[in-house]
Formats: sequence, C-alpha cells, structure tokens
Amino acid sequence: MPRRDKFKIYGDLLSALYYQSSAEKIVLTQIQVKINVPFDRLKTYITEIKELGLIEDENSLKLTEKGIQYLRMYKKILDFMKRMGLEYR
Amino acid sequence: MYEDIRIAIEVASAIICFILLWFMAKPYSLTREGRYLGLPLGFGFLGISSVICAIATITGFFASQLAWLQLLPRTFAFLFLAVTYYFSKKPSRKSPLMWGLSISLLIFVLVTLVIAGILNPQFAAEGYLASSVYFRFCNLICLFYISIHTLNSHIKTLDSSTIVIPFAFILQGISQYSIIIFSVDRSLFAFWSAMVLRFASLAAFLYVSYKAFYTIDKRVVRNEDDAS
Repeated sequence: MPRRDKFKIYGDLLSALYYQSSAEKIVLTQIQVKINVPFDRLKTYITEIKELGLIEDENSLKLTEKGIQYLRMYKKILDFMKRMGLEYR
Repeated sequence: MYEDIRIAIEVASAIICFILLWFMAKPYSLTREGRYLGLPLGFGFLGISSVICAIATITGFFASQLAWLQLLPRTFAFLFLAVTYYFSKKPSRKSPLMWGLSISLLIFVLVTLVIAGILNPQFAAEGYLASSVYFRFCNLICLFYISIHTLNSHIKTLDSSTIVIPFAFILQGISQYSIIIFSVDRSLFAFWSAMVLRFASLAAFLYVSYKAFYTIDKRVVRNEDDAS
C-alpha cells in the first residue's frame, strides 16, 4: 500500500480546496474522493491545516495567503520531481 | 596551461554542484522523506570530489593521495543517487527502514574506505590507476540504472521538460566511460571530452532546477486564474 507524506496530503488537499473555491459550496465528499482519504481522516487534516494557518476557517475552507504560498511550493516540488524523473506519490 | 584549465573546470563544477545541493535539498526539507536525502548527498559529494580534484591538481595530481580520495566521493555520489531513484518508486511502509539501512551501509563503507586511504597512503598512491577503472566502472553501472529509470519516467509522461535529466545522466555516463578510456590508453582527447561532458551535464541539471523553481510561478498563476 503506497503511503503519502503530510506535505503531499496537505498539498493535494489545498489543491482540491483551491479548485473548488469557485463553486458555490465546497462538498467535502467530492474532496474526499479527489484526494482519496477516509472521511474521518479528511476532517482531521482540515483541522490540522487550519491550525497551520493554511485555511481561514473550517466552514468556508478558503485558503489564506500562507496556504496559497504552500500550494505554490507544492506545485514547484511536484514539477521538480517530475523533471528529475522521480516518482512522488 | 592544461592544469589551469582543469582547475578552472573543477572549481566551476564544484560551484555548480553546491548550487545544485541547495536545490536538491528542497524535496527532503519539505517532505522529510528520507528517500530524497540521496539527492543533496549525491550532488554534495560530487562537489566535494571536484574540490578534491582541484586541490590535487594544484599540488601535483598523481603525487598526491588526494587523487585516490577524490574517486570515493564521486562513486558514492552516484551510489546515493541510484539508491534514491530505486526507492523513489517504492513508497511502502517498509521503505523508510530499507532506505535507512542502505544509507547507513553506504556511509559506513565510505568512512571505512576514507580512513583506509588516509592511514595507508602508500596503498592509496600505488592503487590509484587500478582503483580508478573499478570505481569508474561502478559509476557507469549506477549511471546506467539512473538513465534507464529517468528515460522510463520520460516515456511515461512524454513531456519535453522531462528529457533533459536522462540526457544529463547519459552525459555523465559517457564522461565516466571516457575517463576509463583515458586510464587505459592515456588519450588526451578522451580526458578533455570527459571534463567537458561532465561540465555540460552539471549545467543541464542547473538548467532544470532553475526552470522548476523559478519559472513554474507563471504556470501556478495561470492555474489560479483558471480556478477563479
């Protein structure tokens, strides 16, 4: 069973939240399916990224400036790994 | 004259390697995944090898035991990189343990060989030419594995941005092969080709790192615009 580190999980979660941010309401089950984690763990991760200051609050799930910076760095690392021919999953 | 050029190439290579070390440390520092530690270790050791080579050339290459010692960091650099590529496709629960064991073993062997080289300089000086061929052959095997791995990744993605790295590793491989030819028949063409190819390869790594960390912003911004 492949395991993901927290950087990858938070990156995937922030990415999913960011691209859902244009929708009227963010549906957590869609996020859950997109990032492939159990629902209870998704709630835990949301609490964790809130504590890290990456989202504004657990209701709106809007990314803070820090969250957007985190997402940018996550994309850069993904791009770098891809260019280096390394598998990051 | 030739020695000055060689020193200049080694110093420039060392500078590029230490810049690359900074880039390569980013995946590990952000993910804290031990399997990516081989990237900074690999390029760090390549830099150390170039520094030792430059010092050895200044002090008289074959008269110095540094000539022998510079082989070790280079070979271990490629071993660290090969192990990193090997473990990158196996993110299972057992892999941190296996990675830890592999890296501990590599560091133990490296330290043992360095101590042996320092304690027994006579062996170090006499064994240089023979050792060189064996070490370079080991480098070639590592580089062959990494080149195949990166080429496979490129074939899977079929993205033009992923072709540079396999190309860079292949250049490193040809460079090591040229040094083996130089060790056997003393061909100066082989020696200088190896130096130029190694430098070109490092420049390719630097280009890829720069592109990934300093031009992606535009792509993220474009995605952000799409999302809003």
